[in-house]
Formats: sequence, structure tokens, C-alpha cells
Amino acid sequence: MQAFNFRHEIQRQVAKSGIDLPDATIEELVAHVEDLYAAAVDEGASEAEAREKAVAALDESAFSMLRRHASRNPERLHARRADALARASGGRSLNVMSALRLALRQLLQHPTFGLVTVLVLGLGTGAATTVFTVVDSVILRPLPYAEPDRLVTLWDTNTEKGLRHDPISPVNFMDDRSLPVFKDAAAWWRPSVNLVDPGQDPVRVNTIEVSGNIFEVLGVGPQLGSGFPAGGPLFVQNELICVISDRLWRTRYNADRAIVGRPIVLNGTPYIVAGVMPAKFRYPDDIDVWQRLRWDMTQHSREAHFMEAVARLAPGTTIAQAQSAIDGLTNRLQTQFPVTNKGWGRHLVPLLDEQLGYYRPALMVMFGAVGLLLVIGCLNVASLLLTRALSREKEIAVRVAMGAAPRQLVVQLLAESCVLSVAGAVVGVLAAAASLPLVVRFMPVSIPRLEEASMDLRALGLGLAVIVCTTVFFALVPALVLLKKQLATDLRSGERGSSRGARRIYSFLVVGEVALACALLVASSLLVRTVGQMMNTPTGVDADEVVVSSVQLSGRDYEDWRKVGRVHGAIIDNIRRQPGVIAAGGSNFLPFEVGWRGGFGIEGEPAPPRPEDAPQVQYHSISDGYFESLGSPIAAGRGFAPADEADSAGVVIVNETFASRFFAGQPAVGKVIVSATGAIGPLGLNLVRIRPRPPGVPPPAQPVHTPPTRYEIIGVVQDVRNAPFGQPVEPALYFSTRQFTFREQFVTVRAADRAAAIAAIRTALQQEAPSVPMGAPRTWGERFAARTAEPRLLMTILLFFGGLAALLAALGVYGLFSWSVALRTRELAIRLTLGARPSAVGALVVRQSAVLIGAGLVAGFVIIRLAESVLARVLFGVTASDTTAIAAAGAALLVAALVACIPPALRAMRVDPVEGLRVE
Amino acid sequence: MVTTRLDRPAIDAAKKGSADLLILALVEERALHGYEIGQLIESRSGGLLHFTMASLYAALYGLEERHLLKGRWVEKAGQRRRRYYRITEGGRTMLASQRADWSRFMAALSHVAGVKPA
Repeated sequence: MQAFNFRHEIQRQVAKSGIDLPDATIEELVAHVEDLYAAAVDEGASEAEAREKAVAALDESAFSMLRRHASRNPERLHARRADALARASGGRSLNVMSALRLALRQLLQHPTFGLVTVLVLGLGTGAATTVFTVVDSVILRPLPYAEPDRLVTLWDTNTEKGLRHDPISPVNFMDDRSLPVFKDAAAWWRPSVNLVDPGQDPVRVNTIEVSGNIFEVLGVGPQLGSGFPAGGPLFVQNELICVISDRLWRTRYNADRAIVGRPIVLNGTPYIVAGVMPAKFRYPDDIDVWQRLRWDMTQHSREAHFMEAVARLAPGTTIAQAQSAIDGLTNRLQTQFPVTNKGWGRHLVPLLDEQLGYYRPALMVMFGAVGLLLVIGCLNVASLLLTRALSREKEIAVRVAMGAAPRQLVVQLLAESCVLSVAGAVVGVLAAAASLPLVVRFMPVSIPRLEEASMDLRALGLGLAVIVCTTVFFALVPALVLLKKQLATDLRSGERGSSRGARRIYSFLVVGEVALACALLVASSLLVRTVGQMMNTPTGVDADEVVVSSVQLSGRDYEDWRKVGRVHGAIIDNIRRQPGVIAAGGSNFLPFEVGWRGGFGIEGEPAPPRPEDAPQVQYHSISDGYFESLGSPIAAGRGFAPADEADSAGVVIVNETFASRFFAGQPAVGKVIVSATGAIGPLGLNLVRIRPRPPGVPPPAQPVHTPPTRYEIIGVVQDVRNAPFGQPVEPALYFSTRQFTFREQFVTVRAADRAAAIAAIRTALQQEAPSVPMGAPRTWGERFAARTAEPRLLMTILLFFGGLAALLAALGVYGLFSWSVALRTRELAIRLTLGARPSAVGALVVRQSAVLIGAGLVAGFVIIRLAESVLARVLFGVTASDTTAIAAAGAALLVAALVACIPPALRAMRVDPVEGLRVE
Repeated sequence: MVTTRLDRPAIDAAKKGSADLLILALVEERALHGYEIGQLIESRSGGLLHFTMASLYAALYGLEERHLLKGRWVEKAGQRRRRYYRITEGGRTMLASQRADWSRFMAALSHVAGVKPA
């Protein structure tokens, strides 16, 4: 064609008029001039004449008129700058710094796009970093004890009773401890302790009474004082010493170093403080006082399961070897002591697993969830970048035509994604740093070691890893599409050349997003089902508003057990007289708590050959009015009455499970049971049983075998849950607190409102037992909620993540199909021209998206299947393959995704055939 | 040609005000690219009306900014890429009202100045 370069001429003239026109405008002007030139040639002009005519048209034009339309499109401006830079640097390589500078400018020119991308990435990285930091400090960092991985905890199991994780008996513990697979082992139980100091309010302190070797087993010493003597005995009856926590030392004793060697009064008995533990030491949990054991564990009962234990494995022993050794021992004990030990085995749990309990699998599930969310965020950003890259196809084609090498383009794309990733990661790490203290402070449940969580190099490393991966990923996806196109097609081939490859990548991104969102939604709906199952577990009480507080009568004032019973009764009577109180009662165990277990017999039936062979049931001690205050109906007979005194005939109430198991088909009321149980630990004493003893004489330290005592069954109460979630309700005997008295009692008060109930308890205590502290008052509803707090928290977080993931996935589906419909306008127009009904075209789009969504859902179900074993550990009452949960999550996602493809489908139906055909 | 010379300022002034009308009227029938628009104005006015490239495209971009026109790059087999302009709904409304204005104006000219439509 013409030898003359009109483009240069136009660019010269435009530059002369002092403006900078967009490439598109230049191209349009070039087309115009070339048309002029061609028309002149057609009319018979010579090339020189034709060129003269064309130049004249340019010359007469005042291009400054176009000033208003100059450089409106920043993308084109950016492209020109990039190419100018490329040319300036020799037309070969793009300097990395200038590429970054350009990328930054590009980002600033598209603030919305940049902001959305950086926010999506930032929130994803932030959430991932926060959860990682928590996982790292709670799970991955070793416990602060010597060789913590050699520490195991010991728990009783009983397959028959459905028990997997129960406290152990002190006698059995002593047998365990003698096994050579253990270097040493310590055991404790948890008394309720009132701490009374002169001049200060009495307080309840979390206490364990523990064997003297506990700190040696853990390999931790006190920060102050010598602690329990090293190599000393497990228990000392007469020399009472204790070790206190750093918190108690600071809050109660003003960090007075002279506290060591001084006595403090626990439940009325002075204990010499032998040491103060370091600030971070919290074993077995939030303990303030470690009392040294004062009784002999070998002299207790094999049937009393109330102790916890930790053991250190002998050098070279694995946990499997220890477990098999202990299995051998428990088998021998079952044969040797069939009555007390039949069915009981022991289970070793690594200390870290035990400490974390539910949190270990829960945190792993959360870490997995936040990881999935981050990946979904990345896939979304990749789709955004891909769409943008495709819309910049022409710009890039122009740049390639102007001599930019593919390598430069990749460098430029890398620079752009690097800017996005770095900005996202910085936002994320800052967000994590800001949110971590809030997470630690406002966590509604207490996760062990959470307060130690702090950002460190590992968390920053995670941020860096995210930057590197996302940079490469974000740059590679569009680069692959664009460069493939550059190699395959030329500048003018329209957009169809690249659409297939891009569509494949795009579809892959959408399937990935749907799959991950599906996995998150299924996990969260499984948790919803779990919490639902927990909430629907029958408790046997209707007491959400009932206020519960504990009262313990101990110390010198309450050595007389009759007085203990009398004062407990007086406190409850006093509460009933307070304004606003509707009902009040007391019990030594609350619902969901497992009572003491003991044997019993039925009068008139043959007694077992040995007293230990008697069937085991739960022993509870309750006041009159207790069931009324909790709203638990008496199914037959009557409840306790004030007339059921310590001196009157023995009476007992049984639960329905007891009645149906031992008196199947016959009325239980009126039957008589016999019990040999005289005392339960230092806490409770059977007054009926010790009636012959004159008042004021302390009970014997050892149970004495005297003839059993009769109790007439006066009532049957509907089952009140006396076992944790997932375990069957056990048969239970409810004794009257006046006849079988316990030092500690939970008072339950139903009143007009919470404040009235609390005031009533406080006033009654002040009037009846002024030296006794009141335990923290909480409603039963709160206590019940606390039992489900962990799965509810996990459920809330997963629901949030799942919802976010579903939203992102729906946006991804919308993006893909909007773009795809725009690209396929011509194809759709042909279909419509050939007589396809618009509804059929719409259905085509919906069908194609349904296929992708279906593939994503299937992939999501596979992910859930793979995560089944971890998920199973945070679920209750449902399995990971629960069809309801899977169907609900799948349906929700399907609906969201199909709704997202409706607008593009409608657009497809409205394609104007004529217009559509002309476009291409 | 003295008359023509004397006429020029009047035509230039009218041209300025009528550019939008001319362009909208032409693209009302079918989508056209810039060169075609310029050529059609010139040929249909018998060479009387001529826009320079700059004024033509300034008018086109102005109309597009006001959403009276819509430009779109189209590629046809064997031809170079061109930007075609088609009228929008807003453009049609504007065209109808401009036509009405101009015919009232022409009628007024005819009454007052004895100018007869050609």
C-alpha cells in the first residue's frame, strides 16, 4: 500500500497540537486517512496526489479540537508508558524496578479493582495467619515441661457402660504406677476449697490434692520456695503443705516473698506454703493451690473412680508398649477383683492431646477451613485478573506489535501480581497482628495456652509463602492465556482465539471454588447438626433461668456433720423466704455430672456372696425442693419433705432408669434398698448409717464393715441426665441431704429474675453462714451453654467461613458466565437466527453452569470424605457422611450458584441476532 | 464567486449548529464509520458541507459522550478494523426534536427573509 506512514504523520500532527490522543483514536484517524487515500487512488489519482490529498485533510484539521477527548483511557496511557519505557531500555528487557513502578501506577489507576483484590487477599491471609498463630502456639509448640512428649495421662474405660474417658480409682492407680513402663506417675483429685485469710473475704480456690511427686513427674520446679520435697513420699498424713499459683500469690498476697513457710487456711485447716509456681505453669488446668496428698491411695477403694493421673514413660518406652503393658495389668486385675474391676480398662492419652481435648481437632478443622477460604479468595482474585487480562488483550497485542517481547509481558504481569500479593499480605499480616490480641481476649471458651499466642517469624513466614505462591499463581494464569494467544493468533483475529483456553482455566477455577465452598458448607452444617443434637439431648430439667451457686461448709465450724446438714437445710429455707424466690433446692451434683458410684442391694432378694458384688449405681444427695426448682417431675410417689430428718427412717428417690432396670414391670415405690456405703471421701457422710455414733465424734478414716442400712423408695423421678453427652443415663439413687450429707452443695434457685435469686443466696448465706463464700452464680442455661460452647464456637466460625466461601463461589460463577456469554454472543446469535427459542439459549447457559457446579459439588464431597477422620472428632451424634447435612449444604450452594448464573442467562436470551452477528 | 464568498460565514455558522443533526440523521439509517459519515455529508450536500477530520471526530466523540451515539470496533472479512457508530434511543429522541426545531427555523427563515427551501 502507500509507502507513506500515515500513523507517524498523524502522531506528529497531534503532538504538534500539544495533546496526547488515545491509541484507539489514533487508529481511527489512521483508518480515516487511509480510506481517503484509497478513495483518491480509486478515482485515478497517482500515489503522490492521493497522499497529498490525505495530508491536506490532516493539515486542515485543528487537532487541538480533540483536546477534550485526549487520553481518557488510563489503560491505554499505561500501555504507552510501558512501551515507551521498554523502548527506552533498548526495546529488550523491562527493568524490574520500572515494571514494579508501572504496576503500582496501574493499581492506582484502577483503585476499585486494586482495593477489592487487596482486601480479599488481605482478609484471607489475615484469617489464615491468625488461625495459624493460634494453632502454632496451642498445638505445635511443645508443652513447657521436661520432655513433654514422654508424658501421658491415664483414664478409665468401660465398654459395657459406654465409658471412654473416666477418672480412675486410687488403688488401681497405685498398681499402674508400679509398672516398669512408667518412670513415675502422679495422681490427684479436685476438692472444693474455701480459702480463709484474716482480714480478707473468704474465696473459693481451684485446688487439687495431689501426690507429692507431681512436679518431679512434670519436671517443673517452683519459682519461689522448694515445693514438695524431691524424692519425698506420695502422701504425708500429718505435715500439711501446699504450693500456690503465681496468680494467687500476686492477687491475694501482693507477691510477698515471705509467704513461703507461712500457713494459709484451706477449708479450715492450716497448710504451710512450700512454694510458688512460675506464672505460666497451669497444670492440670486453672489451679491455684496444689495440696500435698494426705491419705494413702492403696487404702482406698477400687470402685471409687474419682482421680486423674499423669505418668512419665520410662526411657525407651513407647506409648504403644506402655498401653499394652497396662492392658495386661488391667486384664489381671479384672480376674483378680471381678466385682470392682470387671469391664474396667485403662487408656493412655498423650498429655498434649489430653490438654487440648476438643480443641486439637477443632483447631485443625478451623485451620483447614481458613486455608480453604484463602485458596477460594486466591481463585477469585485469579479469575478477576484473568478477566482483566482478557480485556487488556488488545492493549497487549498492540504492545507486542510495537516490539514488546513475551518475556517483558511476563515480567510486567509478575510485577503487577507481586504488587497485589505484597499489598494483600501486608494488609493480612497487619490485620492478624491487630486481631490476635482481640481473639485471645474475647475468645468465649478457654483454650489452653491461647494466652501465649503471639505473632512470630513462623507466622511471618506463612505470610511470605502466601506472597510467593499468589504472585506466581496470579501472574501465570493470565500469562498462560495471553501468551498462548500471542503465539497462536495475530493482532486482528478478534477474541475467539483465546477464549477456549481461557474458558478452560476459568471453568477450572470455578469448579475449584465451588468444591472448596461445598466442603466448608458441609463441615459447617455438620457442626450445626452436632450442636442441634446436643441441644436436643433430653436433660430432664427445665431450668434455663434457674440460678446455680455452690456452697461448701468446711473447717472448724463445721466438724459436726449434723450441723453441716442442718445449716445446708437452713440456707435453703432462708433462700425460700427471700423476696421473689419461687423455688429453691440443693444437690451435690448438677445435671450432666456423674455422681459417686456405689453398691446397693434390694431387701428380700438374695444378697451377693461378697458385699463388693452388689450392682453399682450413682449416689446423689439432694434437698427437698431440688427437683421442683429444676422443673423435673416426680413420676411416681413423692419428693423429700422436711419431715425426712436425719433421725427418721431412711428414704430414697430413684430415677426411671433405676426403676425400670431393677424393678421391671413392678412399682418401685414402697420397695426397700439396702446400702453399706457410709462415707464418700472427705465430702459426704451417711448420717443414717452412722446413727449409733454420738454427735461430735469424727467419722472413721476407713470404711468400717457394719450391717447395711435400709432405705425405703418413696418416689421415682423422671430421668435427669447424669452422664455427659453421648453416654446413656445411669441408674441413680437420690438420698436426702439431711440423711446423707455432703459438705459441698449446689443451691438451685428459681426466682422472679436472676438478680433476685443471687440476692437471695447472698442474704441467706450472710444470715446462716457468714464465713462461707458464695460460689460464682450462673444460671443453669449458662452452665448448659458452656457445655456446648466449643462446638457452637466452631459452628459459628465455620458458618461464617462457609457463607463467605459460598458468596465468593457464586461471584465466581457469575463472573465466568457473564464473560462467557459476552464472548459467545456470535454463537448465541447464530442459534437464535436458526430458530432457537431464547428460553432454549438461556437453558443452555444454565445447563452448562449446572455441569460445572455439579462437578464442584462432587469434588467438595470428596474433600469432606478425605477429612472425615478429623471431622469425626469434632462431631457429636452425626457422622461426616450425614446425608441431611450434605444435602442441605449442597442444595444451598447449588441454589446460590444457579442464582448467580441467572443474570448471564437472561443476557444470553436477550442477544439481538442482527447485532450479535455484526459484532463479530 | 463573490456570492459564495459572502455566503460562507452564514454557512459556517449554520454548519456548527447543525453538525449533530447531520451526523445523527445519517447514522439513523445504519451504522457508519467516521470516513463514511464525512463522505456522505459532503456528497449529499453537493460539496457544500465539509467537516475537517478534527471537527468531525470532535462531534462524534461529543455525541458519544452524551450517549446519543455508540461506537464499536468491528472487523469485516478482508477489511481493516473500523469503528462503527450507531444511534442510541437517546439519539433518536434528540434527532426528532432537532428536526422539529430546524423545520420551524426554516419556516421562520422563509417567512421573514424569503429564504426558500432548495
